[in-house]
Amino acid sequence: MRKYVEFARVQMQVHAAYSAWFWANTFSILLRMLVIYFFWKAVYSSRTEIEGLPFEGMITYIIIAMFLQMFVSGVGQELAHTIKDGNVAIELMRPYNLITRLVAMDLGDKVIHFVRGALPLSILAFIFMDITLPTSWQSGLLFFISAFMGIWIGTFFDLLIAILAFWTINLWGLQVMKEAVISFFSGALVPLILFPEWFQTISLFLPFQAMVYVPVAIYTGILSGTEAWLALGSQVFWAVSLFVLLRVLWSIAIKKVTIFGG
Amino acid sequence: MLSRYIKLYYLFCKQNLKVMLEYRMDFLLGVLSVMLQQFAGIFFVKIVFDHIHALNGWTFYEILFIYGIAATGRSIHHIFFDNLWTLGWQYIRPGKFDRLLIRPINPLFHFIADRLQQDGFGQLFIGIIVIGTAMPHLSISWGVLEFFILVVMIIASGFIFVAINLFFATLSFWMVDSLPIVWTIFNLSDFARYPLTIYHKGIRHFLTWIVPYGFTAFYPAAYFIEGSGFERLALLTPVVAIVSCIFAYWFWNRGLKAFTSTGS
Repeated sequence: MRKYVEFARVQMQVHAAYSAWFWANTFSILLRMLVIYFFWKAVYSSRTEIEGLPFEGMITYIIIAMFLQMFVSGVGQELAHTIKDGNVAIELMRPYNLITRLVAMDLGDKVIHFVRGALPLSILAFIFMDITLPTSWQSGLLFFISAFMGIWIGTFFDLLIAILAFWTINLWGLQVMKEAVISFFSGALVPLILFPEWFQTISLFLPFQAMVYVPVAIYTGILSGTEAWLALGSQVFWAVSLFVLLRVLWSIAIKKVTIFGG
Repeated sequence: MLSRYIKLYYLFCKQNLKVMLEYRMDFLLGVLSVMLQQFAGIFFVKIVFDHIHALNGWTFYEILFIYGIAATGRSIHHIFFDNLWTLGWQYIRPGKFDRLLIRPINPLFHFIADRLQQDGFGQLFIGIIVIGTAMPHLSISWGVLEFFILVVMIIASGFIFVAINLFFATLSFWMVDSLPIVWTIFNLSDFARYPLTIYHKGIRHFLTWIVPYGFTAFYPAAYFIEGSGFERLALLTPVVAIVSCIFAYWFWNRGLKAFTSTGS
């Protein structure tokens, strides 16, 4: 365990060293918040609510979802590159579990991103953008649990996709495709209740809504009471199934490495 | 001189195509992924318009049209000039840029021709479909002249994307890798996907006169939308494209002069 904590710590220091990327990120997020704000302001210019959501509720959902989506993926890129450049063979000989190491490093990354990026920026959003607090302290607490699960599910899914790097070299395409699918089905762009019925039904059976929609819907009160607990239950289901799937696929993929390396 | 460069470009392309055909699965994956990405953006607009009739006076098809021009213009940049993204981390940092400098051709030409990015075809495809879908719904009759202007506008849009990326990529000559800056500026183009009239005046002026992303989609589209009030400004699009390209190229040449290789 100690070594993994150490990996997470080192990753935080690495992150702090690249300040150009930090500022680029911060600035880009600010820009996106501006686009979102003006876009939704224009949408609401001729009405007071959409599907029962007033402007404040909508902008709160969209902004929180945007922040959460940034934490949903991340570690897959690293794994995909390790596979592609062949280092995976060496990594597998080292005295740690490669996946656990990557997850630990990713965790370090996320902690520092949260402290240096998401936290100050969301405080800014609270002050300038009509964002509201959770409807009650229970839903606030539930949001944190649910968001944690969502990030967990997202990380497993990310790793699953990254393993595909054993079979393709177009990592950029893989990444873009994954991002598109996630922003499509996870409710990261708009609350799923705005989607047509059939689309909502489909996404109910996919793991993506558990990444972003469920936590943020709990935060904004779209899901509450029994519904919220049920949604949390589905998150547990996805977290466990993706974890198992990852184990299976990884053990299959590793066999391919030995064939590859000769 | 020119014919030599055309022939050279053809030879570069042939090499790139060979690579593409070698990895067919990856070609498909790339095209499909970009199409999906664009589709997600369009779907988002569709969902929103299921609940409203107009966005600040703009109809669904007008927004689609803006979107389509942005996507098609960007695809020109994506297919033919994608290498601009890699100047810092693939050429200057590892010292590979020196290789281009000792060749008897223009280094910028060599650098651009080094890569043909197949993934951009997905963007081109979607862009054309979106424009085609939106066109019949605009209250303008499409003649040969209108088509011609549309094509000119799209090419101009593409070259504005190129000029902006070239300008900020050039900073790499001084700071080794300017990718974070290029990327941040590129994100500004997100603004251009919607009518600029929904934004604060300051943002609008910035995107018109400082970093002219407004001319990559909104202004060219507004030319074809009756009563948009921007028909006149829209005609400036090709001018803006030419001026920004000249300016970026001048800056590139200054960068080249200041360039000292990462020594070893």
